[in-house]
Amino acid sequence: MGLIQGAATVDRLREEIQGVRYRDATSTFCRLMTEQDRPLKDMIKAAIASAAPYVQVPSHLMQLPNGELRGVNYDHTILGWRGAISLMGELGGSRGILPNIQAMWYVPQGLNVWEQVICEFPGHYARDGEQCGKKFPGPDESVNRFDGPAWSVPRIYFQDHDPIEGGSVDERLARMNWAISEGDKAEAYGLFLGLARDPVNRRRLKDAILFAGITDLQDTIINRGGYQNIGHKALRARALVDIADYLGWDNAHELFYTVVPDLGCSPRLYGLWSEICTICKMELPGYASIPKRSDKPLTERELDVLTEAIVWGGPFDVNAAIMGFFKRGAGILDVGDAVIACFQRYLIDVLEHPNAFLHPTHALDYMNVVQSWVRDYDNPHQVKAVFMGARFMNDTIRSNANFPRDPTFNLEPRAKYRSWADDIPIDRLLPVLKDHVLAQDAPRSCALVDSYLERTSERHDLLDTITYAACHWQNDPHVMRNGASSLEEFRHNRTSRRDDIIRGYVKHQSRYVKRAPTHDCFHVYVDYFKPANA
Amino acid sequence: MSDDQTLAEFWRIRNAAAVTLALTEEQMRRVVQTASVEQLVALFETFSPARSAGPEWTRTFDPLVEHLWAWGDSETIAAVAELFRARGLPWASVANALSPNQGDRLRAATPHPSWARQPAFGLI
Repeated sequence: MGLIQGAATVDRLREEIQGVRYRDATSTFCRLMTEQDRPLKDMIKAAIASAAPYVQVPSHLMQLPNGELRGVNYDHTILGWRGAISLMGELGGSRGILPNIQAMWYVPQGLNVWEQVICEFPGHYARDGEQCGKKFPGPDESVNRFDGPAWSVPRIYFQDHDPIEGGSVDERLARMNWAISEGDKAEAYGLFLGLARDPVNRRRLKDAILFAGITDLQDTIINRGGYQNIGHKALRARALVDIADYLGWDNAHELFYTVVPDLGCSPRLYGLWSEICTICKMELPGYASIPKRSDKPLTERELDVLTEAIVWGGPFDVNAAIMGFFKRGAGILDVGDAVIACFQRYLIDVLEHPNAFLHPTHALDYMNVVQSWVRDYDNPHQVKAVFMGARFMNDTIRSNANFPRDPTFNLEPRAKYRSWADDIPIDRLLPVLKDHVLAQDAPRSCALVDSYLERTSERHDLLDTITYAACHWQNDPHVMRNGASSLEEFRHNRTSRRDDIIRGYVKHQSRYVKRAPTHDCFHVYVDYFKPANA
Repeated sequence: MSDDQTLAEFWRIRNAAAVTLALTEEQMRRVVQTASVEQLVALFETFSPARSAGPEWTRTFDPLVEHLWAWGDSETIAAVAELFRARGLPWASVANALSPNQGDRLRAATPHPSWARQPAFGLI
C-alpha cells in the first residue's frame, strides 16, 4: 500500500468517486473507517450520495444514427451495496467488510453509463465491455484512459425533485404506479418522496415499489439485443427496500434519488405480465386467495416435472406445470421454493461456458426478489410473480441453448474428482475449497461441495467459505448480489433439494467469467482491516 | 409404475423406441457419409441463432457433431471447419467442434459396445 497524502474526508471521497478514481476512493473509504472511526453505514450513505446524480440515463435504449437500437446498461452501483449489506451479516467480523469494499471499488466505475457506452466517459463499461481504449486510445497507448480518472465532469440526466403531496395514500400509490408504467419519472419520483415521508406509509410503499419492479420484465431475451431489462427493475426495487431499511428511511434520500426515477425509464416491458395475468384469470380465478404455504408442497415427482419444464421445456410447459401445482392446492412459496431448487440443475449439470452464467443468474436474482416479496408482504398478485420468475429462468436457458455449444469450454465432470474430495478430512476441506474457488476450478470445487454436503450437516461455514472466496473478485457487483440471493434462498427453502442451491452457487462462483484477473481490491481490504486468516 | 403395467411392458415400449431410433441412425449414417461440403455447410448454418428453428433445434448440435465424427470423412470435415473458421468469432463454436482435436476426443469418448448396432450417441 503506497503512502496516502492528506486527510481522508467525505469531501475527498466524493471528489474521488465523481472523478472516477476508484482506487483512491476505496482507500479513502477505508481510511475514514479505520483512521477516523467513521461508521460503515455513514460511509455507505456518503458513497451513495456522491454517485446518485450520475447514475440515471435518459433511456435504456439508444437509437443509433442508422435507426437501429442498442441497449444501455442499468446502474449496478446500488446493486453492489445491496448485496454487500446483505452479505455483511453472513460473513462474520471484519470479513463482512469485504463485500462493502468491493461495492465501493465498483462505484466510481459505474457512473454515467450512457456516456460510457459511447466512449465519452471512463468506467467499467467503457473499459471492458465497449473496449473504448482500443477505439479511442489516449496519447500514451500503454495507459487505458477509460480506466479513469475522468477528463470531464459526469453528466446529470435527471435532477432531484421535490416531494409531491396531497391526496389520499391510495390515490397517490395508484398515481405512482401509473406514472412508473407510463414513464413519467418526475411524477413517480415526487409521489414516492411524498409518501416516504410518513412512516405509516412505508410498508405499503415498499410493497408497491416491489410490485412495480417485478411486473416490468421482458417476455423473452432471445434475439432481442437491448430490448430487455433482465430483471433490473425488480433488482433495483429490492435494493431500495433493503438499503433504506439499513440506512433508515429518514436517512435515505439519495438512495431514493438513485433508484426510483429509473423504475420509470424506457423501455417498460409488460408483455409477460399481461400474458400471466390473462392465463391466471382464465385458469386460476381464485388466485388472490391461494395461501403462501400449504400442507401440499411439491412431491419428488413434481420437482422432477418442474425441473424438466424449466431446464428443458418451453414457456408453455412452464406455465402448464406451475398451473397444475396451484390447481391441486400448492402454496405460493411451495412453488416458488421449488422453482429456485429446480433451476439449480441448470447451473449444476448444464452450464459450462463462463459467459453463459450471466443471464440465468439474473433470473435467479429476480426470483429471489419475488420470493422475498411473497415472504414479507401481502399482495393479491403474488402468485403471478412465481410464473414470471420461472418463465424468466426458462427463457434465459432457452436463449443460451439457441447458441451452438463451444466444445473448447467443456468442463470435466465433477464426479471425476469425487474420490479425491472424499479423501480430504472434513476438518481440512473448507480451506481446500477456498483455494479451488479462487483458482476457478469448477470440477474440483463442485466435487468438494458434493463430498462435504454428504459428510456433514454443517452448512454455515460452507456458505461462508464460498462467499468469502467469491468476494475476492473485483469490478463485479453481480458477485455480491448473487451471493445474497443464494444464501437467502437457501435459508428459506423448504424443498428436499435445498442443498442444490449450494451446489449451484459454488459452480457459479467457481466458473462465472471474471472482470479482472487480479485481487487488488481484496488487498486494499487486507491492508486496512487486517482480517485473521485472510 | 401403475398397478396395471409391468416392468416388462415398460421395457418392451422402450425397446420399440430403440429399434425405431436405430433404423433412423442407419439412414443418418448413409447420408452423412455421402454428404458434400456444401450440404454440410448448409446444415450447420441452420444452427445460427438468427436462423435456428429454436433451442430445441440448436440443442441437437452436439449429437450432430458426434454423428459427423463417427461416420464422416476427415477431409470433408476439415474443409467444412475451414470455411466456418474463416467466418470469424460468431461461428467459432462450429469451427471448434469440427477441429481435429475435438474429433479425436469425440471418437475416443463415444463408446461402441460390441453388442450394439451403432455407437452410443447422446440423444439431446
